Amino acid sequence: MASNAHAAEESHGSPLGPKQYIQITIGLGIITAVELAVSYAGLATAVFVPILIILSGVKFAVVVALFMHLRFESRLFTQMFLFGLVLASAILISLLAVFWNDPSDALGGGELPPLEGHGAAHQLFLGAPDQL
Amino acid sequence: MAASEAAHGEHHASAGVDNRLLLMWIFLASECLFFGSLISTYLIFKGESLVRPLPDDLFDIPLTSTSTFVLLISSFTMVLAVHGAQHALPKMMKLSLLATILLGLVFLGFQVYEFRTFGQEGLNLSTNQFGASFFVLTGFHGTHVGVGVLYLSSMLFGSMRRNGLGKDVGTHLEIAGLYWHFVDIVWIVIFTVIYLIP
Repeated sequence: MASNAHAAEESHGSPLGPKQYIQITIGLGIITAVELAVSYAGLATAVFVPILIILSGVKFAVVVALFMHLRFESRLFTQMFLFGLVLASAILISLLAVFWNDPSDALGGGELPPLEGHGAAHQLFLGAPDQL
Repeated sequence: MAASEAAHGEHHASAGVDNRLLLMWIFLASECLFFGSLISTYLIFKGESLVRPLPDDLFDIPLTSTSTFVLLISSFTMVLAVHGAQHALPKMMKLSLLATILLGLVFLGFQVYEFRTFGQEGLNLSTNQFGASFFVLTGFHGTHVGVGVLYLSSMLFGSMRRNGLGKDVGTHLEIAGLYWHFVDIVWIVIFTVIYLIP
């Protein structure tokens, strides 16, 4: 009992309760349903991809801010997490900028005939035996 | 009072925050880099496959959406467990922890079923670049869920001991909750980027 009372004193200051958490979960579920609807709506890629990324970003932010209590915690935690998140985003953007549809890639050039089977794929990546 | 402050202070850094929470947030930041690299690799490789099957041949969006909802609900039960621990509601904490563990196991069951189905369709780690990058990415995520299930199970069993999880039960559950919610937000990104965007 004493430990329970102590636990209550140890509360980390999130003002949210079960009722609010239910509302947040319903909201997240609705956003997920909207994502599904958008993906099946037959919209142009240039339209629905940004919509999906924005909706996903909203869900991400809501979980981090409210379920992980980052909104109510020390700003140091926010800075630490954002540092990793920004660095990860930079890595993602950099890698995609370098390798996405790389024209020097034989596969991206579209000059190769269609191949089937593991052996063909293996040979393409490693080169023909006389080239090794 | 002074003794109490000393007992509390032993886990606090000079920045005035709990060292254990700070460590978990730094760990999660490093995990962002880990999954960011894996997602980048998947996006680069998925269009480079020479042989089928490809994503369009395999993905079962309704099934994956169901597992996404399962993980979403598990985040809700996890936050209830943390709330129970921090507000001296042990029954709520234990029941919510148990529900979170069960939902995590259900999610893993969906993933095992998906992997088996893909295997039967001819996709494995060495089939093509899509298969390699897909299984590595989702496999590592599934491993994180599995570790989370073990972590939460240890918390649940610990809470059933006579002394429970001790005086810092709120902090222990909050740290476990951070890990579990992180697994959820990684899946939020994976679900959108890998499954929904063609």
